[in-house]
Amino acid sequence: MKSRDEIFRCGKCGICIQTCPVYQEDLNELTTPRGKMQLIRHYCEGDLASSRHLQQVVSKCLMCGGCTAFCPSGIDHESIYMAMRKNMQEDHGEDWKKRIFFHLLTHEQQLKFSAGLAAKGQNSFFEILYKDIKLGNIKLSVMPRLNKKPFREAAPEIWLSETEKARGTVLYFVGCSTNYAYEKIGHAVVKVLKAMGLKVEILADQVCCGLPIYLKGGLETARQNIEKNISLFSRDDVEAVITDCATCGSALSSGYIKVMKELGGDIAAAEKLAVKSVDISRFIVRHFDWLKDKINPEARRTKVTYHAPCHERNHGGSHAALKLLDLLPNVEYVPAEDFDQCCGGGGTFFYDFPEISKKIVDKKIANARATGADFWVTGCPGCSINLAGNLDKEDHIRLIHPVELIADSLEN
Amino acid sequence: MLKTNIKKQLMAIVGQERFFDDDETLVAYSYDGYVVESRPDAVLFPLATEEVSEIMKIADQHRVPVIARGGGSNLTGGTVPVEGGIVLNFTKMNRILEVNTGDRFTVVQPGVINANLQKELSKVNYFFPPDPSSMGFSTIGGNVAENAGGPRCLKYGVTGDYILGMVVVLASGKVIRTGSCNVKDVTGYRLSSLFCGSEGTLGIITEVTLRIVPLPESYRTIVAYYNNLADTAETVKAVLAQGIIPTAMELMDKVTTNLVEDNAGLGLPREFEGMLIIEVDGVSEAVSSQAEKISKIAKSFGAIEILEAKSSQERESLWKARKSVHGVLSKLAPNCVTEDATVPVSKVPEMIIGVRAILDRHNITAGIVAHAGDGNIHPVIITDTRDTEEWSRVETAAAEIFKLAVELRGTLSGEHGIGLAKKQFLPLVLDENTRELMSVVKKALDPAGLLNPGKFV
Ligand SMILES: Cc1cc2nc3c(=O)[nH]c(=O)nc-3n(C[C@H](O)[C@H](O)[C@H](O)COP(=O)(O)OP(=O)(O)OC[C@H]3O[C@@H](n4cnc5c(N)ncnc54)[C@H](O)[C@@H]3O)c2cc1C
Repeated sequence: MKSRDEIFRCGKCGICIQTCPVYQEDLNELTTPRGKMQLIRHYCEGDLASSRHLQQVVSKCLMCGGCTAFCPSGIDHESIYMAMRKNMQEDHGEDWKKRIFFHLLTHEQQLKFSAGLAAKGQNSFFEILYKDIKLGNIKLSVMPRLNKKPFREAAPEIWLSETEKARGTVLYFVGCSTNYAYEKIGHAVVKVLKAMGLKVEILADQVCCGLPIYLKGGLETARQNIEKNISLFSRDDVEAVITDCATCGSALSSGYIKVMKELGGDIAAAEKLAVKSVDISRFIVRHFDWLKDKINPEARRTKVTYHAPCHERNHGGSHAALKLLDLLPNVEYVPAEDFDQCCGGGGTFFYDFPEISKKIVDKKIANARATGADFWVTGCPGCSINLAGNLDKEDHIRLIHPVELIADSLEN
Repeated sequence: MLKTNIKKQLMAIVGQERFFDDDETLVAYSYDGYVVESRPDAVLFPLATEEVSEIMKIADQHRVPVIARGGGSNLTGGTVPVEGGIVLNFTKMNRILEVNTGDRFTVVQPGVINANLQKELSKVNYFFPPDPSSMGFSTIGGNVAENAGGPRCLKYGVTGDYILGMVVVLASGKVIRTGSCNVKDVTGYRLSSLFCGSEGTLGIITEVTLRIVPLPESYRTIVAYYNNLADTAETVKAVLAQGIIPTAMELMDKVTTNLVEDNAGLGLPREFEGMLIIEVDGVSEAVSSQAEKISKIAKSFGAIEILEAKSSQERESLWKARKSVHGVLSKLAPNCVTEDATVPVSKVPEMIIGVRAILDRHNITAGIVAHAGDGNIHPVIITDTRDTEEWSRVETAAAEIFKLAVELRGTLSGEHGIGLAKKQFLPLVLDENTRELMSVVKKALDPAGLLNPGKFV
């Protein structure tokens, strides 16, 4: 393990414990970040054997990054877990359903094919798989409907700016959730960027960011995706690489560098892409001047609350979406008590540990309900699926991406 | 490894879901915030006094050691099972049983996290004054067993001052009840005080009744910078002599403020020898006049610069600077050892200068912070225990620090306890007769030596 030395920096102070959403439910030292660091250290020192149980212990984590943000010793838990999970996968394999899932994420053509079948409502293999991964607490019936056609295929590659002369070109990295399920987010992103006077390019050859794979330890599997995306998106002639999903965003802006470090890949290339990559909300806040005259002052009044995705909050983000809400004239923001707590989804965590996940998400929902908001804004479709999937039928609050709010408030 | 029959008996009490003896769990309960590690034979999660009593009876019958554990945040090896045995982990026995504002008490189970109790109490405008920096992850059981303190204990007193009563399971498995829910209660020996601070060596605490206090109306926070450390102590003495009891008076020395600045860049000035954070709380009018008086005193005793926090954000950022010390320093090396010697308030400057000299002599990197109002000094030493040569220098320096504290009429530990870390130094402070009495008490309560063996008695 490359990150091995880092483990020894854990001073066992336990400060991380208070930040860990899994621990708050599990109340066992074994699930604390401190506990995992110590177990991994003992494993590295050779006095704790590799086992399926150890594999399960290091998987019992939402990868929310709360511990890392708090750690006085500056430990990068994510890198250590990634490397450790890789070792565990090599020793004990990965559960077959996830293997297929990861296989699909790294084989874009097959993923498209499966998603296509699933969208048509045919009893496809993908749907069975999906139903079974049922995904923890989420009923298939409330999973988002799949796009008829993947967004990247349906949408033209080049969109001209609305203004006569474009201010520049941006590349739009379309996340899988948008590509296969939430095409309306994709349209909103394009609409807003065009209104900002930018030329937008969508790259047909783009593939899944790979984060769900490498965080689970599938570093080698994810490598081909990462290298492909780096080669496509590292372009000098563009202003920025825009992401619409906090998770993809964290992959592009920091995850790729970590994976390349662990595997000994091209770190410089990953760093180059990282500099250009920016989340859509942050990008809009940064250049709000370009947009402000286009906002309709008469737009419908809405009451919203907000969920801060872990991949934004704990990975260098700065609640840009909150700043956006502040900039919109007709949006009333009512904070939920725990707006910056993890939703409990955590990639495949909600599938692996449904009981803990359910407890976490139910608390979030109770607090969001209490705000009386019409919309629950969040910039991560992953969180969105988990939060929406756990709402009751009677709930009137609806999940929405910040960029959709903006698009809705544009004139015409 | 526990014998199969013992294991079966224990499982019959807590069930399979709350009994663990897999390697992973045993490693996870082999450490706390100190450097020494040792694995237990089993980890159990009790939920009720009756379960603890049944477990204790079996442990007694088979002579198996029992170690109570809360958040595992103590810094002295207090929960390390040096002789193996059963860890009783209280984190799941964590209900707040009663909050009674009319009679100003609360009844809690030992696993309640201090900060969670504060959160519940604040809903009814009350609080529980002891505020260890670890309040977000340490338990009331652990706070009681360590008699924990924190910055605001200067005004409000330590954990022991808030215990009205408790339920304790003895080594035999018998259950006793000490005190009551009354502030005034001289009915019998004050047994709560015996168990408070006993670090799990005399009995297992399974319920605590605590006194609670209404939240103050407002705060004022002042920071003063000095060119001379001795001036800080004069300020502290003078403030107290004027009848003002601040909530907290915290001191940071120059090395510390510079280390904080190097690593966290919070904007503290670097040139001063010492910095005091003084906070008062209470009724608005009263705290305003106190704040003014404190500024005057600080000035008259040589403070070069005096600032007041103008907003709650400014107040928070000051406290952040103070509370980040441990964190900032632990970034610099793998291990961070916080000493905890305490001296009378008037001796604080002498102590700090002496400690700094000791650290320099042994070539050790450390920041010094102090709860100056109560003389509690924390040299925060950064080291790497894998470097045995350096570690032995740290140990020698620690021994010298304790000696110095005792010479200044101080004591070994103000709040972190003795555990394994300071066991060997007890004779410095406690004479033979006193230690003998402690042994008599220990033998009377725990004749077979099963409760947290290897710790301070
Ligand atoms: C970053 C950091 C900052 C800290 N700051 C402070 C501070 O400001 N002030 C302070 O006083 N301390 C401080 N501490 C030390 C520590 O947090 C306290 O001693 C705390 O009270 C321990 O609580 P715990 O629940 O973690 O107990 P543990 O560490 O689990 O146990 C501590 C001792 O209590 C015993 N014990 C636990 N539960 C029971 C029970 N139910 N019955 C009988 N015995 C029991 C254990 O056997 C052990 O001897 C700090 C520690 C850290 C890591």
